[in-house]
Amino acid sequence: MASVSTAPAPGMHQIDLSKLNLNQLAQLKQQLDQELNVFQDSLQTLKIAQRKFVESGESVEKLKPETKGRTLLVPLTGSMYVPGTIADSENVIIDIGTGYYAQKNVAGAKDYFDRKVKFVTEQMEKIQVLGIEKTKVREAICMMIEMKVQAQAQNTSTS
Amino acid sequence: MAAEIQKKLQKELEVFNSLQKEYQKAVSQKQQLDGQLNENKAVKEELMLLKKDSEVYKLIGPVLVKQELEDARQNVAKRMEYISKEIKRTDVHISALENKQEAIQENVNKLRNNLGNLKIAA
Repeated sequence: MASVSTAPAPGMHQIDLSKLNLNQLAQLKQQLDQELNVFQDSLQTLKIAQRKFVESGESVEKLKPETKGRTLLVPLTGSMYVPGTIADSENVIIDIGTGYYAQKNVAGAKDYFDRKVKFVTEQMEKIQVLGIEKTKVREAICMMIEMKVQAQAQNTSTS
Repeated sequence: MAAEIQKKLQKELEVFNSLQKEYQKAVSQKQQLDGQLNENKAVKEELMLLKKDSEVYKLIGPVLVKQELEDARQNVAKRMEYISKEIKRTDVHISALENKQEAIQENVNKLRNNLGNLKIAA
C-alpha cells in the first residue's frame, strides 16, 4: 500500500523540481519544513490526548462492584482533601466534549476510552505516513538544490 | 519617473502585506472552525450511541446541568450547521483574499520590471 502511494510521487516531483530555480526550491523547502513542524506538533498533542484516554480507561477499570461504599479522599484543591465514600460504583460521567457529559456504566466507559484511544492512534498513524512522504519530498528538494548550486558554481568557474 | 514607480511599488507592497496578514488570520480562523466542527462531530456520534434513557449533562459554568438527550442532540446538530456555514463563509473570504493577493503580486512584478527597464535605459 505504502509503496504504491509513494512510488509515483517522487517521479512527479522530480520533473517539477528540475524546472524550478533555486529561489523557488528554497521556498518550497521552507514550506515543507513548516508543514513537517506542524505534523510534529500535532503528533505531540495526539500523544498527550492518547495518554489521557489510556489513563482514564485504567482508572475506570479500578471501579469494581466491591468498591461500593469504600472511603476515599476527594481532592477539593491540589492540596486539600475531604473524606467521601463511593456511593455508585457502576456508573461514571464522562466528558464527551463541547461541554457535554454523559453517564455511562463502567463497561460503557471502558468501551468509550478504548474507542477514543483507537481513534487517536489511527490519526497518529495517518500523520506519520504523511510525514514520511513529506520528508522524502524534502530530501529530493535538498538534493536538487545541491545539484543546482554545483552546476552554478561550475558555470561561473568555466566562464 | 523612477521615483514615482518606486513610490507606487512601496504602496502596493504595503497593501500586499496587510492582505497577507488578513489572509493568515482567515486561515487560522478556518482551522479553528474545522477543529470545532470535528469536536462537535465526535460529540454527535457519541450522543447517537447513547441509549434513550441515558443521562446527559451540560457544563454551565462550574456546574453540570441535566439535559434531555434529544435536546442535546438537536443542540449539537444546530451548532454543526452554524459552524459549517461559518466555514463556508471563511472559505469564500480566503479565496477572495487569494485572488487579491495574486492581482497585487502581478502589479508588483510589473512595477519592478518597469523600474528595471528604466534603470537599464538610464
